[in-house]
Amino acid sequence: MSYERPYRGGGRRRQQRDDYDRHDRRQEVYEPPEQKLRSAILRLGEVDPVEELSRVANQIREGGSTNVPAASEGFRIGVTEQPYKIPYYTALLHILHEPEAEKEASTSDGPTLGKQILEDFWKGFQAFLDKLAWRETRLCIHFFAHLTVARIISAHSMASLLQSFIAVLDEFGVSQSRAKRAAMCAAEGLMIAGQVLKEDSATNVIDIISAIQIYIDTTAPSKWLVQPMVRLHSQPHALESADELMETALAVLKTLNSSDFAESSNSYPQPYLDFAPLPPGITLFDLPSVLVPPEVIELDGLSSDSGEDVQIKREEWPEFYIRLFDNDVSPDPTSPAGYAVRSTLIDMVDIFEVNRKECARLLLEFPKWTLPGTFKPRPGAPAESHPEPVVGKDWQLESTLIEICLGALLVLPQSAHNTIYYVALITEICKLSPSTVGPAVGKSIRRLYNALADGLDVELARRFAEWFAMHMSNFGFQWVWKEWIPDLALAIKHPKRVFMRRAVEFEIRLAYFERILKTLPEQMQPEDAHVMPEHAPGPEYEYDDPLRPYHDSAQSVLNLLRGRAKPEDVIALLDTIKNTLSETSDGDVNIDSVIRSIAVQSLLHIGSRSFSHFLNAIERYLPLLRSLAAPGDEARLDILTACSIFWKRNRQMIAIVFDKLMQYQIVNPTDVVGWTFNYGVGNERGSSSGPLSLNAHDWDLLKGALDKANGRVVVARRRVTALRKEEDDTRARVRASDGADVTSMEVDADANQDDPTVDSPALTSALKAFASLTREQKAALSRTLTGFIDCLAPLASDRHANPASRDVVQEKKWHNRANWGQDEWNAWETWGWYRHFCRAYAPYLRNYATTLGTVSLVKFEGTTDPAAALLLRTWNVATGQD
Amino acid sequence: MAHVIQCLDQPSNYKDSQSRVDRQKQNDLLAKSNTLYVGNLSFYTTEEQIYEIFTKCGSPEDGGGVKRIIMGLDRNTRTPCGFCFVEYYTHAEALAAMRYISGTKLDERIIRCDLDLGYKEGRQFGRGKSGGQVRDEHRSDYDPGRGGWGAQAQRLEIERRREMEERYADTTVAVAGGGGEWNQQHATAEPAGTLKRGRSPEDEGDDSRMANRARTDGDPEAERM
Repeated sequence: MSYERPYRGGGRRRQQRDDYDRHDRRQEVYEPPEQKLRSAILRLGEVDPVEELSRVANQIREGGSTNVPAASEGFRIGVTEQPYKIPYYTALLHILHEPEAEKEASTSDGPTLGKQILEDFWKGFQAFLDKLAWRETRLCIHFFAHLTVARIISAHSMASLLQSFIAVLDEFGVSQSRAKRAAMCAAEGLMIAGQVLKEDSATNVIDIISAIQIYIDTTAPSKWLVQPMVRLHSQPHALESADELMETALAVLKTLNSSDFAESSNSYPQPYLDFAPLPPGITLFDLPSVLVPPEVIELDGLSSDSGEDVQIKREEWPEFYIRLFDNDVSPDPTSPAGYAVRSTLIDMVDIFEVNRKECARLLLEFPKWTLPGTFKPRPGAPAESHPEPVVGKDWQLESTLIEICLGALLVLPQSAHNTIYYVALITEICKLSPSTVGPAVGKSIRRLYNALADGLDVELARRFAEWFAMHMSNFGFQWVWKEWIPDLALAIKHPKRVFMRRAVEFEIRLAYFERILKTLPEQMQPEDAHVMPEHAPGPEYEYDDPLRPYHDSAQSVLNLLRGRAKPEDVIALLDTIKNTLSETSDGDVNIDSVIRSIAVQSLLHIGSRSFSHFLNAIERYLPLLRSLAAPGDEARLDILTACSIFWKRNRQMIAIVFDKLMQYQIVNPTDVVGWTFNYGVGNERGSSSGPLSLNAHDWDLLKGALDKANGRVVVARRRVTALRKEEDDTRARVRASDGADVTSMEVDADANQDDPTVDSPALTSALKAFASLTREQKAALSRTLTGFIDCLAPLASDRHANPASRDVVQEKKWHNRANWGQDEWNAWETWGWYRHFCRAYAPYLRNYATTLGTVSLVKFEGTTDPAAALLLRTWNVATGQD
Repeated sequence: MAHVIQCLDQPSNYKDSQSRVDRQKQNDLLAKSNTLYVGNLSFYTTEEQIYEIFTKCGSPEDGGGVKRIIMGLDRNTRTPCGFCFVEYYTHAEALAAMRYISGTKLDERIIRCDLDLGYKEGRQFGRGKSGGQVRDEHRSDYDPGRGGWGAQAQRLEIERRREMEERYADTTVAVAGGGGEWNQQHATAEPAGTLKRGRSPEDEGDDSRMANRARTDGDPEAERM
């Protein structure tokens, strides 16, 4: 685009902005020497790291000891935010440890500049550790490990540092997240420094490896719940298509150990080994001993009505990364060199989350920080600059990057960052190098698509469809759909067909019906191909047709609403209609339901033109909605049903309407949960007569309700905490002023206010809100659990029972899945959502584990019903009782 | 965090010319803002499309979500004019949208987000002379998603067309031929560069060609719009 003045037109304002910019620039021009030094360290290696080392070293030396704080800060930021530079920072510090020839006379007695910087750096490390900033701590340990190999840090002190992290694994009741992160610190430190550490003491090395092994063995049950390829029937099994992070680390350590860590030098650049060793006169640096501080437990004394603790603690699960390519295309995480590359890339994706564009650029530049021959040269690079391909490496950069990003996106139960970050990151990588990245993306899509037939987890299938649609939305919706035409022969509920339909639906939401229709091959366009929805999304007012029952009544309501009549007038009209109808219709019609349906659909009708129109309509008629909802549970279910009928051609709107009805407190989250299990729209039953099951769209509604319930508790908790703090502060102030003014006449009045047992009205009502919201939260979770039990272990007498819900959990049935029909796939998907419910909401479920378990699951103890047993087992693993 | 690279969630230098608050106050407000200005939308993009993408940065489990969307409208025609405000319940969600959505495509256009001081009555309308956004006044490219040419260019275009139409409003059946071959017979002593050329029947062909050209200039745009 070429408009000359982007966005800010107008000469006068333009002038102001220029002034502002100049002001900014002036600030930038003056860079204090410390900052200059710091950025020199951070920018190390922009052209050639080895060439630049001596220049940066000299710059640090120029100021002598006064430069130590700035330099060590530079190292601290560099190491923790640019992990790919750590070997070169080690080399830089190596140079700074060398005695300066020309200044020898003056400084020979004091410690070298390098040593001073390292001492200061250690303080920074200690600070990271005190905050339990795990990633920073781990990357500092990388640095220390390289320094150990460079013979700057003593091997025995490095070994005991790693031991302090291993000690965490033996703590009583250690959380999985803490254990996992501590173990990764020790494991990665050992991978880098193993050779030197083993020379020093082989038993130290063995101890670390076996401690990690023992810990991993305890995590087996939870692995079963978060592996990307679902096997409902089996114990955890070796997966060909995914690797668990800690397990790969252990495998790497074992491989390295078997060759006395000879392979480390093939995995990590060690530029410092090209230098002459430090003169023998220089003593090795001994790392001080540390203790990994315990986790801080916030005690705010808030608990739900029944005394259960409702503090939410995010638990870490075993971390599976899905593999999309073979070992000769992307690095094998169980090989030392492969692990080193992958873990650095994962760290980069994590660190640069704040700027996906820069992240994409740095990822594509990554090969320059690796050993020669790690990645295939870029096509078109001059032949003489091609390094010899290294056996077992020579990977393809773009495939590796996409595999890493998708791997991070597809971690269960949730990715480290918002999933849309990884989507946007992949988009940026593609934009930087479309011709080389495009094919890697295409291959990844095909791999994931094929995984759908082999049990790809339902939540991952959902994320896959979401990514696919957003990616296509950024690249002109160009996908070669025709290669999937043969799959139209599969059962309608087969995961591949469900994926196609869902991906297309998500694409339509981001674009529009006709736009997506024309991207599909002819065979996929007709309605019966079941790829496109039957109609373009739109409202469907049930009473539009003059031949429909209640058309005239509905029309009169609609006219009133269109004329912006007062809510009470509408309510009065509805009462009149009700009276008329009850005189004229026969007994088996539920007049109340009809009235609610007419009122809600008419209201949605006047608000159907856009999201804002909808909000305006319901805000104007809140009193009407409240009066409709007032009679109770059944009334609220009727309201939800009316919405789902009106928007049956637009599932996005159903989710939006339900969300806002909860927001305006017309319905509760528990109502939405109950409605979803009984009348869920997504299963295309049309009525509630089919077998109970839950699909991805139902799950979206369920998730919306549960998140709303949980979110409200979070907000209420925050409010109570803030009010308490405010009152404590006020009391403290009052007390302080009392002390200063003892003779004051108002002592009595103050004393009253000072009474710590009396809460202010604001705090009292906040506590009350908190109590009722935790009740609602528990009700919503409990309703979800019973809903799943009804679907998955139905009683024989239940006429909505899915006959397949017990079959699909058996191994031999799973192997026969090529012959599965609608019921089997529905049951399998429902099982998948139950698993996801348990692991995704585990932090909340744990708080209520005892009561919820007692109410719903205790009846299954000792059962022989395979479905009941699986329900119980899943629950126990998720709530940490297994 | 991030000493090495800039965060994408920083507000731009934009200063709302009709806002009364000073820059310091404005920065304080932006540091807490739940509202985004979203620009470079197609005039045809719906609120539901906007909702679909922005809800992905919502965090309902923290009490968040999309609170409302205010579509930017042309002051005169009350039709979407290519911008909107998206209001979340929390500041963190607005930041997430800055990081992950700004600069990506919606409806096949790269949309731009900026932290905003918050919606005030009247801000939903374009401030350009023509009723749309100011940027669409000065735009000199052809953008089918935003009503074709920029408003000024459009005015200019209309002006040109009108001039063209008016210029020939007096056209009669007799059309100039532009002059035939040199003819000794008509050779005169007058200076060669006469200001007004004479009309002759042979001129007809030329003028209709010109009229044609004027039409083809206009037509493709009309189609793409």
